[in-house]
Amino acid sequence: MRLERHSFSTWLATGQALAQRLGQISSGNGWMERLAALSTGYHPDPEREQQEPTYYDYPALKEPVWRWEIVWYFFLGGLAAGCYFIASLAALFGNAEDRATRRTGYYLSLLALLPCPLLLIKDLGRPERFLNMLRMFKVRSPMSMGVWCLVSFSFFSGLSALIQAARDQWLGRWWGARWLARLPQRLLALPGMVLALFLGGYTGVLLATTSIPLWSRSKMLGAVFISSAISTSSALIALVLRLSAAPAAALHKLERLEWGALLSELLALLAFLRGSGRAARALVGSGPAEHGPRFWRLVAIGGLLLPWLLQTRLLLTRRAHGEAATAGAATQQSERSRVRFGGLLLSLLVLIGGYFLRRTIIEAGHSSSRDARTTLWHARAAR
Amino acid sequence: MPASVTSVGRPTANFPKASGLPLRQMLPPLWHVGNKGEKIMAVEAARPLPGVLKQLRTLLEPLRKEEPLPPQTAVGFFTDTSLCIGCKACEIACKQWNQLPAREPVWAGTSYDNTRELNAINWRHVLFIERIGRHEEGDHDGRGAEETAAAPTELPFFNPDRWLMLSDVCKHCANAPCLEACPTGAIIRTEFDTVYVQQDVCNGCGYCVVACPFGVIARDALGGTARKCTLCYDRLKDGLEPACAKVCPTDSIVFGPVDQLRQQAQARLAQLHERGLREARLYGADDTILEGGLHAFFLLLDEPAVYNLPEDPSRPSKHVLPASFWTALMALVLGLFGIFSFRRR
Repeated sequence: MRLERHSFSTWLATGQALAQRLGQISSGNGWMERLAALSTGYHPDPEREQQEPTYYDYPALKEPVWRWEIVWYFFLGGLAAGCYFIASLAALFGNAEDRATRRTGYYLSLLALLPCPLLLIKDLGRPERFLNMLRMFKVRSPMSMGVWCLVSFSFFSGLSALIQAARDQWLGRWWGARWLARLPQRLLALPGMVLALFLGGYTGVLLATTSIPLWSRSKMLGAVFISSAISTSSALIALVLRLSAAPAAALHKLERLEWGALLSELLALLAFLRGSGRAARALVGSGPAEHGPRFWRLVAIGGLLLPWLLQTRLLLTRRAHGEAATAGAATQQSERSRVRFGGLLLSLLVLIGGYFLRRTIIEAGHSSSRDARTTLWHARAAR
Repeated sequence: MPASVTSVGRPTANFPKASGLPLRQMLPPLWHVGNKGEKIMAVEAARPLPGVLKQLRTLLEPLRKEEPLPPQTAVGFFTDTSLCIGCKACEIACKQWNQLPAREPVWAGTSYDNTRELNAINWRHVLFIERIGRHEEGDHDGRGAEETAAAPTELPFFNPDRWLMLSDVCKHCANAPCLEACPTGAIIRTEFDTVYVQQDVCNGCGYCVVACPFGVIARDALGGTARKCTLCYDRLKDGLEPACAKVCPTDSIVFGPVDQLRQQAQARLAQLHERGLREARLYGADDTILEGGLHAFFLLLDEPAVYNLPEDPSRPSKHVLPASFWTALMALVLGLFGIFSFRRR
């Protein structure tokens, strides 16, 4: 008994020492600062920044009023748009094996879309006046266009999911369900896809059309959000397909799409950081008011780079496996289970990364609005 | 696309409550289906046809687009900081006239400026830039030791040991980013060419708050709507000048037609330059800022950043096209890659 306790405490001490060491390594923010300087191309010079005039460092901009509701709206709206887009791709260009993708995509799109209007209405200062949004059709205001897009996309997403439900015979066998099942889902998919892409991307354009330095300096936020919408959606659909043991061929297509979406998201994010320069410090820096730790760990590395590398490896092993499958089927069982676990992990990483991408960008936007020196630099330096 | 002028009336001045009626009162009686809803419906149904038509008209009233009022002379403020004595009379006059609530005072700890910012309940804000002894620590402008030595003999006005004061206000931009962003059409351009928030239309989405490059317009927890200086729209309607300009004891705040004010500002600038005050400059008096200038502009005694004013802010609505272009390009690439992913075996 005594021996056991002793060994337990030694084990605990070793564990603590190890955790401390790991903490030291990860809390040393040198690597983060190096990455920040490398990606933004801006080397912070606190002494020179201190020389710049401001008014007692009081914020020169008002802090955004957008909080967690908007973060979740951006995330779920992206998922709704991406799932619709992928399901429509499967409907228009897929084969019989992609039926599961199409079905899952249309259902998930509607499910993700349902909370969106509620979140947006809750976010308003006067929620009971939400219908006033429909008084105007203002091409120059991304929020106005977004509201109209959300309204019309809801129609397409809802109808497509209803048709899918009727075809899956979830609505029974009465005449209405039969009529719904006969509606041309593929024809609806064409305008629906355009609206879906609009919904996935306009949120970034909306943030870019402000005066907040982080959001507006580089105009790439829309590109980041649209690719993130596709990557998170393909991760979500793949997650559901993996859990429901869908055909490997359908999964393979999704994985390929996800690989491309993750790559384009990485490139768009790099272009965003490079274009923002000093304005991106609020997002990538490791200072007290900066969101670098979360951004680098959960978004850039954990949510993008790592899944992309995993996906590349998965696709390569799939290909090798596909070639080997003809040779012998003995090792197939263990191989598949390992691949499956990696796939689940990958999907989760991408989804968590997509959520924290929105969250860190919104939160860093709050920090950016409070930083008077960067705001004044942003309004002074050539754009 | 110009903002539609739907209901231009006297702004409601009774703050916290303010901002129109509750939803139930705004709806026509037909919609009042309360505990005795059935009775009301029955009465409505028994009415003759014109009554029903009238009902329908009231129902569609919010959708009716009114003709904009005949335009008047564009008016604005010229705030001459060289005359400001920091008495904050403008802040108080504004609060009194517009019946804005006061908060518990909090000491800023940095200067005599405890208002600190323009927000939903402070529509004038006097800045105090206390430049006492700053040259000793090494001024950013690089004013040398010779100047400091000569300082005591100079008049306070030309002395580097001085206070700069400025009464900040909504700039009523010619191309107002808040107005361009507003998705409800609550923010309008009035017949006096000023920017005005219709409190009964605004639903507090907060887009104008991040659009404003000067950090002026704000959403307050009290009313839930965006609020800012109205340039005393109600007083303008009655031919009066805004409260802050009326009360300013040194005429640092001048109200008048924008064209006239611009000439006056140029003349004042020339006068100050002639007297040796080389660092005096105008801010927003020409068409450069936001591609159309400001209708409330300033004469500054230092560079704009000293007053927390952005030197050359970009107009957010100009970002829509480039941002959309990159988004569309990315969507195209992803679409093509998606087709490729699904077509290839």
